[in-house]
Amino acid sequence: MAEPVIVDRVTKRFADHTAVDGLSLSVPSGIIYGLLGPNGAGKTTTLRMIMDIYEPDEGSVRLFNDVAGGRTHSARIGYLPEERGLYPKMRVLDVLVFLAETKGVARKSARAKATEWLERLGLAERRLSKVADLSKGMQQKVQFIATVLHDPELVILDEPFSGLDPVNSQVLRDTVIDYRRQGKTVLFSTHIMEHAEKLCDRLCIIARGKKLIDGTLAEVKNTHGGKHVIVAFDGSQGNAQQIFADRRLVAKFQDFGQQAELELAPGADAQEILKALVESGARLSRFELASPSLHKIFVDLVGPEAATAAAVPGAESARGGGARV
Amino acid sequence: MYKVWAIIRREFVERVRTKWFWVSAILGPVLFAGIIVFQIMQSVGGGVRKIAIVDAGKLGYGTRIVEALGASRTIRADGVQLGPAVLDSLTSLVEAKQLNGFLIVDDSLPADGKAEYRASNLSLQTTEELQRTLNRVVEKARLEGKGVNPAVVDWAQALRVTLDQKKCQRGACTKESAGESFILAYVMAILLFMAILLYGVNVMSSVLEEKKDRIVEVLVSSLRPFQLMLGKVIGAGAVSFFQFVIWGVSARLLISLRVPIARALGADTASAQTMALPHVPFATLTVFMAFFLGGFLLYSAMFAAVGAMSSNEQEARQAQQPVTYLLMIAYLSIIGLTNDPSSTFARTLSMVPFTSPIATPVRWTAGSMGTGELVASLAMLVVGILGVTWIAARIYRVGILMTGKRPTMKELVRWVRTA
Repeated sequence: MAEPVIVDRVTKRFADHTAVDGLSLSVPSGIIYGLLGPNGAGKTTTLRMIMDIYEPDEGSVRLFNDVAGGRTHSARIGYLPEERGLYPKMRVLDVLVFLAETKGVARKSARAKATEWLERLGLAERRLSKVADLSKGMQQKVQFIATVLHDPELVILDEPFSGLDPVNSQVLRDTVIDYRRQGKTVLFSTHIMEHAEKLCDRLCIIARGKKLIDGTLAEVKNTHGGKHVIVAFDGSQGNAQQIFADRRLVAKFQDFGQQAELELAPGADAQEILKALVESGARLSRFELASPSLHKIFVDLVGPEAATAAAVPGAESARGGGARV
Repeated sequence: MYKVWAIIRREFVERVRTKWFWVSAILGPVLFAGIIVFQIMQSVGGGVRKIAIVDAGKLGYGTRIVEALGASRTIRADGVQLGPAVLDSLTSLVEAKQLNGFLIVDDSLPADGKAEYRASNLSLQTTEELQRTLNRVVEKARLEGKGVNPAVVDWAQALRVTLDQKKCQRGACTKESAGESFILAYVMAILLFMAILLYGVNVMSSVLEEKKDRIVEVLVSSLRPFQLMLGKVIGAGAVSFFQFVIWGVSARLLISLRVPIARALGADTASAQTMALPHVPFATLTVFMAFFLGGFLLYSAMFAAVGAMSSNEQEARQAQQPVTYLLMIAYLSIIGLTNDPSSTFARTLSMVPFTSPIATPVRWTAGSMGTGELVASLAMLVVGILGVTWIAARIYRVGILMTGKRPTMKELVRWVRTA
């Protein structure tokens, strides 16, 4: 089966900067694909080009092996934009039916499906409430229902986890995994690596509009590996800081306080580090040889300044009035 | 097309569900009923004026005037002989609103034809009736002075000539007075101005709402921006059309019920029957609706673009001003248009698409426009709508996804050129 999404060397420039620069990626059918990058990396712009909301200045996007664009295929695609929004004064059920209608679903079946989804996500008794009267979490659920109500083959989610509490995050994760089980394709963007690591089959990391790496999770970890050790302390850390700073043993490390992730120096033996730690009086609750976490790879690739979540606050939305569409 | 239909329906249903729609839908007929009741009440008793006829002479002209006014439906007169302090006490009665006014005549009335009327409020209806009555009294007195038999004079004065007024235009004559066609044109212009402005601004706020509440991104992922704009404009237009239908039907209903209403109020049913109602020919109604629709399409496209380029209400209010001024030009010219509907100024206004939605129906109603000119005006309007919509759609397309500062004129031009 052809890839649902193929992005071929697209470039998008705005008045004052280039948001996406010669980016290519292809999303195979039936998997969960993560588009990762720090804020302002060009994730939203890329997704908007896939959805045919922006036209690329260069390059092309193919959906379902067709150049016609997202609007033509909108009945087969569910899109959750980064900036969420519903009509605050409309009733929940009416909003859902309306949005399904704009995807070409007939009114009657839209109503039945919306009711079914509302029941499934525990909002059945709120279906006649106004959107504005719902809590923020409920509104997010309604928004998600609106995205998938027309039963799309391809779901594109822009930062789906932002603003969700742990319970709702879990609901969303379960739904996404359920989608893959049904053979559907999910493409989502995030800057939170933990989500990506738990969900993605394939991923692509971009920064400043350019691709840094893509592939399956295992491929990315292998090519960017090195030997890694995860150390967790239980109370005293002994001489840990000094040992980690020893460049003969440890090439790089990231300290999370009670836990640290080390990349071994070439030729170093993990047992030596363990021995040194125990001798210095450190109490360990975990010492594990591991492949690097996605977070670690991300920070290595992008640079630490961009890895912090709030690196460029509002960079995606503050691009001002100079854009060309 | 199904998608556009969904947009139209949502726009219509959500708007008709609001309180404001029904408030204005009900307010129209209530206002109209008020006008009818007021007119009826005027003929019942509220409209009767109490005046005194002060006679400063001895020949009894005051009494003659009181007698002549005896048949009047709107004036009730009492005669008073002028004495010391009579004028002062009458003046204080007028000030206390117990008397509407008083007329002062003396014996020289038939000789120099002069009388004086003092009142707290000089209504045209009263003074005209007084003048008519005085003329007859004077005429009779003068003829009698020359030895004519009073019975002959009475016989001569008993006949009233009625002037059957008909307006001839475009080869057909209809029963309509000059005053009526002026009022009709004026009312039409005001209705057009208010409806276009009100519902145009509705389109703007609806666009702005979708942009502010971030719904627009989902919508443009399944509809082309032009389809979205089209749906909104048609939806809001349908709402205003619906509003007009409600007003029109209720007005018709009230007019046909005016006789029972008059009876219920205890008024003379004949007066309700003869109530001045402008005659609206079908052709005029068609022209009115055609130019309303045209004007609405033209202006709401502009208002949609204004909504798309703004990010909040304040910005939108500022940005809408040039559009509103454009419409104001036509509105402010109504008096000029109705005074001289065939002047070069009026002709120009009815050819320019931005002013023709108001100017052309006014000129048509005033009867100074041929069918050829009407067609030309309509054609210009259609061209205007196409051009303006083309530009507005481009601004809309870029604007709806834009956040941050409002675009400058230069940026707007670039949007239009590159979109």
